[in-house]
Amino acid sequence: MIRPQLILPFLFSITMLQAQSAREIVQKADEKLRGKSSIMEMKMTIVRPTWTREVELKSWSLGDNYALMYILAPSRDRGVVFLKRDKEIWNWQPSIERMIKLPPSMMMQSWMGSDFKNDDMVRQSSIVNDFSQEIVGNETIDGRECYKIELIPKESAAVVWGKVILWIDKKDYLELKSEFYDEDGYLIHTMYGKSIKVMDNVLLPSVLEVIPADDPGNKTLVEYVSVDFDVPLNEDFFSVQQAKRIKP
Amino acid sequence: MDKQFARGTILIASLMVAFSVAAQELSTKWDQKSYIKFLHTQFFIPDLDQSLSDQLFHHRYSVKYYPNKNWTLRMDIRSRLFYGELVKSTPNFVQSIADVNNDYFDLSWVVASSKSVVLHTMIDRLSAAYSKGSWDIRIGRQRINWGIHTFWNANDIFNTFSFTDFDYEERPGSDAVLVRYYFNGNTSVEVAGKATNHINKGTYASLWRFNHWNYDFQVLAGYFQNNAVAGIGWAGNVGNAGWKGEWSYFHALDEGGRNVFTGATGMDYSFAKGTYVQAGFMINSQGETKAPVTELFNFSLSAKNLYPYRSALYVQASHPVSPLVTGGLSVIYSPVKSQPFFVNPTVSVSVAQNWDLDLVGQILWNKTDHFYSPLQAFFLRIKYSY
Repeated sequence: MIRPQLILPFLFSITMLQAQSAREIVQKADEKLRGKSSIMEMKMTIVRPTWTREVELKSWSLGDNYALMYILAPSRDRGVVFLKRDKEIWNWQPSIERMIKLPPSMMMQSWMGSDFKNDDMVRQSSIVNDFSQEIVGNETIDGRECYKIELIPKESAAVVWGKVILWIDKKDYLELKSEFYDEDGYLIHTMYGKSIKVMDNVLLPSVLEVIPADDPGNKTLVEYVSVDFDVPLNEDFFSVQQAKRIKP
Repeated sequence: MDKQFARGTILIASLMVAFSVAAQELSTKWDQKSYIKFLHTQFFIPDLDQSLSDQLFHHRYSVKYYPNKNWTLRMDIRSRLFYGELVKSTPNFVQSIADVNNDYFDLSWVVASSKSVVLHTMIDRLSAAYSKGSWDIRIGRQRINWGIHTFWNANDIFNTFSFTDFDYEERPGSDAVLVRYYFNGNTSVEVAGKATNHINKGTYASLWRFNHWNYDFQVLAGYFQNNAVAGIGWAGNVGNAGWKGEWSYFHALDEGGRNVFTGATGMDYSFAKGTYVQAGFMINSQGETKAPVTELFNFSLSAKNLYPYRSALYVQASHPVSPLVTGGLSVIYSPVKSQPFFVNPTVSVSVAQNWDLDLVGQILWNKTDHFYSPLQAFFLRIKYSY
């Protein structure tokens, strides 16, 4: 008979091994979409059964911690800037020339009326560092074999979600589907990665589609108009100074 | 339509067209945006058994030109066409709009006026800005916004504005010089001065901004219209809630002037379903303790006199009923003798891609021998942005 003391460390090391690799998969997928740094132009379309709204924006990002977004259209909001530095987020309102610091609770608010939350846009939480990752299965999406990975926020992390499930393509590390749950375990929305193509030498889903759980007739699409990865940007770029100064 | 009015309209229209054409041809160097708003106002004054209505078309054209990457030239033109009962029944209506919101240079014109119609246009931004490395320098008519709190801005010493005028969010500019130096991206010192006819009316001050413990801080000191002023402000978080405040002390330099300590502090929080709430208080050490609520439409507002009463508590809540419709309610209460309440319900609707509709109420309540509302104003606003 094998003594349990011997099995336990063995089991433990298997879990460690698997956790490590789930983390690596998530990290690869995360880096794939963001690169180390990027400049993107995007078009967001909010779709409802009776109406649609469009927002165009340009974004600059560096890793998980730094992001700057400039609203190009509609005209009413042109020039509005969102800045993220680590855990702090600011909103520049050019009409009143004021920098507004946003409270963390605002991260769960809808971003400009869309099905995206502020957190989705500025990614306040890091899917690599703020969660523990575990592979919970294998599924096929759009003919691509995927790892199904469950993310549970670490206790110390300031994360707005209770749980996130990712479907990451095994071959190219594409995030094809993600489900976001609140702290009570209810599904809030599902995000799909579609129209896979090569942009700036990177294979990626060029359209993201978000469908809110409580209203499946609604959706928000984000289409990458142009992407530029690994551009020379450093941390100093993501400053209050830049947010006020930047021209599209 | 009288001749003068027609001439003015043609002049403005042709300017707009000329700018638009130029801007389209040189789109990389030009950045422009505009809106036109229609505002219908209905006032009820129960004491006089009176109801007045007022209409306003309000156009704003904003253009920026970038001759190279360091320079930005900017001009904003604000034009308003007033008509209605309020115009007719207000003596000197033209004067009441023509001279306010105007600074050292006279960039304001009454293009046309008759007993019931007034067309007024002004340039409220006209500046040249130079930015390079750590330096920002801006000269001309500009908005210098040093406010950091969401409701009352005791640090915002370069602006004059009206508490009840929600329709002028850009606010008038100051004819000023601003020099700002960044020690790093989030730490800066700026010095600004405003041109005036008399030094007593001038404002000259310096502001130091920095970020520490995930808080934005600012400290200011200077001269504000015959007062020495010192102030502090902050914006940060307590848990998941936001905490902002700003306070100033004005030390009167003229004989008989009053020293004033004023400012506001408040917290805001946003719930998962989008409901946003904020609450806080303000203090104005020279504020009234006996005035009735109608003082709100009469008092002379400045950074030194943010609200007519000694103190006030505010609560605001808003909720997106749908992505297109947001409802909100603000209530401000002052614990003074007349117990004035300012109640401000709002509904905002995104009607179509570039069309917005707002319904706004401003309802005053106070106590004389009983609680009643001496004045109610309701606004319907339609805005088209392009």
